[in-house]
Amino acid sequence: MQNDGSTVSWVDPILDELAKSPGTAYLPAGKAAAEPTALATLAFVAHERNTAAVASAYQLVAMQQANGEVSIRGGEESPGWPTSLAIVAWAAVMRQQARSLQSNIDRALAWLLANRGEGFERTDTFGHNTELVGWAYAEPSHSWVEPTAFAVLALKAAGREREAATREGVSVLIDRQLPGGGLNYGNTYVLGQLIRSHVQPTGIALLALAGEADSSGRIKKSIAWLRRNIGPETTPLSLAWAVLGLAAQQSNVPQADEWLAAAAARVQARDRSPHKLAILALAAKGWPQ
Amino acid sequence: MSETSFHQPGDMPKQGELSRLLHSRRAWLLGGGVAAALVGGGLVRHWRRERANVFIAKNQTYQGDLVRTIRDGLLACGFVPDSIVGKRVLLKPNLVEPTRESPHMTTHPTIVLAAAEVFRVWGATVTVGEGPGHLRDTDMALSESGVGEALDSSKLPFADLNYQEVAWTTNGGRRSKLNGFYFPQAVAEADLIVSLPKMKTHHWVGVTAAMKNMYGTIPGCKYGWPKNVLHFKGIPETVFDINASLPRTIAIVDGIDCMEGDGPIMGTLKHMGLVLVGTNPAAVDATVCRLMDIDPYAVTYLNLAANRLGPIDNAAIEQRGEPWRPLVSPFTILDRPHLKPLVYRRGVLVS
Repeated sequence: MQNDGSTVSWVDPILDELAKSPGTAYLPAGKAAAEPTALATLAFVAHERNTAAVASAYQLVAMQQANGEVSIRGGEESPGWPTSLAIVAWAAVMRQQARSLQSNIDRALAWLLANRGEGFERTDTFGHNTELVGWAYAEPSHSWVEPTAFAVLALKAAGREREAATREGVSVLIDRQLPGGGLNYGNTYVLGQLIRSHVQPTGIALLALAGEADSSGRIKKSIAWLRRNIGPETTPLSLAWAVLGLAAQQSNVPQADEWLAAAAARVQARDRSPHKLAILALAAKGWPQ
Repeated sequence: MSETSFHQPGDMPKQGELSRLLHSRRAWLLGGGVAAALVGGGLVRHWRRERANVFIAKNQTYQGDLVRTIRDGLLACGFVPDSIVGKRVLLKPNLVEPTRESPHMTTHPTIVLAAAEVFRVWGATVTVGEGPGHLRDTDMALSESGVGEALDSSKLPFADLNYQEVAWTTNGGRRSKLNGFYFPQAVAEADLIVSLPKMKTHHWVGVTAAMKNMYGTIPGCKYGWPKNVLHFKGIPETVFDINASLPRTIAIVDGIDCMEGDGPIMGTLKHMGLVLVGTNPAAVDATVCRLMDIDPYAVTYLNLAANRLGPIDNAAIEQRGEPWRPLVSPFTILDRPHLKPLVYRRGVLVS
């Protein structure tokens, strides 16, 4: 994690801008969405912007439905894959400020545990273990890497690390790593063909796998793959998740602050996406523990 | 299928009809916010043994005069430039999972720029939009494909179809069990969508070109990465349904450097040097199949589309530009049982 004062110069204006609205959107002038709002909440927590963190967390509360699900944007009933990120954000705010968001977390956890991905019988079509169950983006569909990693992060943040579903989610993430390291959206071999790794899902999976034992050595290979595949030109979302994942694996990137600042400058010069700025600000400090 | 069709083969919708429908559509978007409903379940084309034009240009290169090729092709197919003056045109390249290691996977940037130039000169407002199927980081898709740099150089706006706010439309095809689709704002508001696919084999459905490329109009935030909800409902059925539910769509195919074998991601380069243009995506795809020496009737989504979304029978397709028969070059496909019907006539499977 990059925890020194050098982050202040570029992060503070971003946090100031994000704090002007309690909800954070994917795109400029867009409607607040749950994923970027959760990431902004975590950035506020990480940077000890307490008032903004609470306001942002309550924006997620406003998006939560009676069944506990948090969908893409307020007023949308499904899919509920952002529910996991809302749980992580609420748990972080609670830890920092002792706010009572427990009932929101409990309802969200109940929804999450009742809505996992679809498993199916193994064949030679896919290289991964299709019988392992993680989480899907939307129902009905198979378990994929990023929603599974988000769910594992949520369950861990809520103290459910030993829950069977959490353990199976971790198994999914270990199983979906490619032989040479790294992950993609969630396939390893398809019809006998090895599939490519990508930076963002690798970073997110490594974040969720922090502290996990792995006798297969796959996590170690993925860390090495990720370090080889990021640089100053890596796109903002991928870079931010990579830095977060590597930091969680105790594999800090010395140039991270410089690269993150440059990525933020590129976002400011191009699409000014609040989503991208929020995750870059979060990556500058690290995933709240 | 929906009875709201107002298209005639090869023609743009009449302006008054278009304005009325789009007014309704935009009113829902703006007034209803997200997840608003489109009216009429899309603009389904009813093809009842009518003919379509498909233009083929050979000896094409990415350094050549692609603007002229595309313009000539559209005009040869009966496209009326005046019909898009002041209209919104959405160009939809295929950027499913770009990597610099495999530029033959994705639509070449010069095809995107050339198409944009044609429609801009004709007076349309052009946006490029894509919802990459396998990457949540759309910037990565733009960067790895080279399309992002090209858009910047030409000041072309980009619409991230995976994250835009959405509008709901009823399923205009009804071959899958989906009641309808969420379409991103840029898709819902487009007067004309131009499918800009890469000519490729596809390891599940045989061929991917103009119609399958429309999977990228479906927002990942609602359907996932990959858009696995659609897979669970049947790829051929949802390809048909999406195309039956979209606003008017035409096609310009990047058939210069193509992909054979284990497409649409991991296949190998096959140079064809072709550009295909047509105002009916089903007819264009049928011609793509013939060029690949693949039976279009064995491609399930094309079979569904036959005489519903367009003609796929060779006798019903008017060939413009080059004739297809001398240009046929068999594409290898995987030796898998589900793909054998595609090349039954060849007698020998290759992998």
